[in-house]
Amino acid sequence: MSLSRTPSPKPNGGWASRGLTDDGLDAAAPSAYSMDDPIANDAQWSAARGKSQTTRGYPTIQTKNEGFFKRTRRQVSQVLPTFNTFSPKDKNWRDQEKLGRGRWYPRGGTGQISTVRTYLGNVLRKFKFVFLVLGVVALLTTVMSRANIRARYRGNSRLGGGSKFVIILAANEDGGVTDWKGPKEWAIERDSVKNKRLYAARWGYNLEIADMSTKKRYAHEWRESWEKVDIIRNCMAKYPEAEWFWWLDLNTFIMEPSISLQNHIFNHLSDNVYRDINYYNPLNITHPPNSVFLDPASRSPTSDNLTSSIDLVLAQDCSGFTLGSFFVRRSAFADQLLDIWWDPVLYEQKHMEWEHKEQDALEHIYTSQPYIRTHVAFIEQRKINSYPSAACGKQGPLGEVILDTKVHYNEQDRDFLVNMAGCKWGRDCWGEMYLFRELSNRLNRNLWHRLADWTKERFNGAKESVSGKKDEETIAEEAGVKQ
Amino acid sequence: MHFALPPRKTSFPPPYARVNAINSADQRRKQVQYLGYLVFGVLTIYLLFSTFFSDSIPEQNASVDEDASVLIVTVLDEATMSEEYISMIKANRDDYAARHGYKTFYTNTSTYAHLTDPSPSSWSLIPALRHALTKHSTIDYIWSLSPHAIITNPSLSLYSHIFSRLPSLMLKDIPVVPPDSVIHTFSHLKPSQVYLILTQDADNVAPTSFILRNTGAISVAAGRPKDNWSHYFLDAWFDPLYRAYAFQKAENHALEHIIQWHPTILAKLAIVEQRVLNSYTYHSDIAPDEQYFTGISREHDSMWQQGDLIVNLKGCSEAKDRDCLKEMKQRYGKWKASVIILDSGAADSKDNAA
Repeated sequence: MSLSRTPSPKPNGGWASRGLTDDGLDAAAPSAYSMDDPIANDAQWSAARGKSQTTRGYPTIQTKNEGFFKRTRRQVSQVLPTFNTFSPKDKNWRDQEKLGRGRWYPRGGTGQISTVRTYLGNVLRKFKFVFLVLGVVALLTTVMSRANIRARYRGNSRLGGGSKFVIILAANEDGGVTDWKGPKEWAIERDSVKNKRLYAARWGYNLEIADMSTKKRYAHEWRESWEKVDIIRNCMAKYPEAEWFWWLDLNTFIMEPSISLQNHIFNHLSDNVYRDINYYNPLNITHPPNSVFLDPASRSPTSDNLTSSIDLVLAQDCSGFTLGSFFVRRSAFADQLLDIWWDPVLYEQKHMEWEHKEQDALEHIYTSQPYIRTHVAFIEQRKINSYPSAACGKQGPLGEVILDTKVHYNEQDRDFLVNMAGCKWGRDCWGEMYLFRELSNRLNRNLWHRLADWTKERFNGAKESVSGKKDEETIAEEAGVKQ
Repeated sequence: MHFALPPRKTSFPPPYARVNAINSADQRRKQVQYLGYLVFGVLTIYLLFSTFFSDSIPEQNASVDEDASVLIVTVLDEATMSEEYISMIKANRDDYAARHGYKTFYTNTSTYAHLTDPSPSSWSLIPALRHALTKHSTIDYIWSLSPHAIITNPSLSLYSHIFSRLPSLMLKDIPVVPPDSVIHTFSHLKPSQVYLILTQDADNVAPTSFILRNTGAISVAAGRPKDNWSHYFLDAWFDPLYRAYAFQKAENHALEHIIQWHPTILAKLAIVEQRVLNSYTYHSDIAPDEQYFTGISREHDSMWQQGDLIVNLKGCSEAKDRDCLKEMKQRYGKWKASVIILDSGAADSKDNAA
């Protein structure tokens, strides 16, 4: 049954539905509206009618949050209302599936590359501040290392003061004239020069590599090995800003390149040196000179006690002055010393006796000219010029080498510089140089290497102790078997 | 009168209003600009100064004061000199020193015998000078004068006679040791850098009368570490190996040796004409054979003339036919007379002034 029009209310206010159901009532087809019992139907109807009469107007579908203000009243006071609830802001929002068109991906398309790109993009975006800081740090580091700012800072005469120092390294001794310069000699030179070069670069010092090759102009008048004086003088002219000149023989090795000269000696010069040679006097020089006619500074064992008057810093080894490593300051005294050091009349008389040439001459002028003493300070040998055990070594009754704490290199004390003095005379210069180079590298290795070595040692130690125990057991067993 | 609307503000504001109100932003910008110019200008000037003038060390106290103190050192030899001779020498020097406010220092050869032995006693001059420098450490100049010399012109002060005239007196670029040493005196030496004033006679450098500067006083006054060039010079000169070398003329030849071989000494040396500081009692004839070999014809003016500062009776003690005391007495008498004239003249001028 179908209706061609909607049922209309009757003039008395009742529903015409009853008539409808009467007309089309089919007993064989029960439905929700089919009423077998008319009385019961009637009561239901009137109840519905009563209920509908209590409501005004038409019935509506009841939903939650009905009405604009009901829905938005709370948000109005806090945020601007959003009218489109069907948005990604909604918790339950799901993208509408568009069949056949695939899913949307950023940067278009699927595949590994775009996924990675998306991922990277997200990471970059999320950590952009961290990346910015890292970038600035990296840039600064690069710029600073490229421009060698550390060395420049340390080299600056006002800031680090490194340019006030000149390292003069005597290379190419004899220049292969008196001796054939073999691969070992080349290796020594290479290592020694590299060692000084790195040290100078690290602290901003000037490095001058002096060619000591035998020159014709020194061959007459017993003047070989006197180039030292000329070289120092030339360096003073070449580096007009420098103050201290550090002479180094070729067979030396700076064991602790992390220590600057300023820190090691010159910041506290007066504490590091001694003026009175009686403190350690292997040559038995009478000091101070016992003449009443001299000025007070010359007569005092410690000169005038002023740090500013120290112009020559020397070390003494077991047999007297040693010139393998010494400092001279640019001063009037330095000019005078370098001038008076070599004199033909002195040298003519003594060249047979003075085996160590300029060293003996210096000892002579120190001894005989009181003025020279007033500007000389001595430094403990091991501060600037430690010897390996072979040099200056005394032999014990059993032929063993007795180490002198004043002279010989000590690994525990981390001596600053080692000088393979006299290695030319029957010792293996290259062997010693190599050993000390390796030792220096090991002592100054970085934290990572230190850790690696420590682990290795522990591991080896454990292995040995295990194998050692086994050995003991086997020995014990064997002993038991024998018994 | 009342208007419906208030009168309009004038289009011509008073000048004071303009300064503060109208152009204030512009003005402030200008001010900052001027400040910038000022700062940059000061920085530029500072930089220029620091680059051009930082290295030059100002010469402090290097020039000679008029009232420079002088110590006259004479090493006597009591073994060979009579009391009378010594008293004449002392009277002569004391009078000169008193006249010009100088000091005198007499010492004896025997005092230094333990130092000079076994070399000749003439070496004692050097420890004596060292001794004088110790005793009078604040003195500016030392005038070392031989005991065989007498001051003949007491009115001349060393300042007026030598120090003030040094630029013209210094003989530049001449052989330091006559007649033909290849080493020449420096031609660009500044008078203020001269620490040793020497003369040459016909054959040698003459250390019988020379002036030595005590630079210890200079360096301390200049705020530099105390460093006395004269100590260096005297110690180098007195080196035991020079004394052992048996130079023919002992310390005289040693001096010639060090001034020729050591530039730090040569660089402080000024040689002046002999008669400025060291007139002799005889003419120096140039040996004809020397002229023949060197090809240099040389005139050497050594003979004392009236008005010279001193006369040196050089050789009187060595020569057999000469008597130092006799010669000295004669010179002493002349000097005495000149002193009397000088004093009376001074008294006259005083009277005139009064």
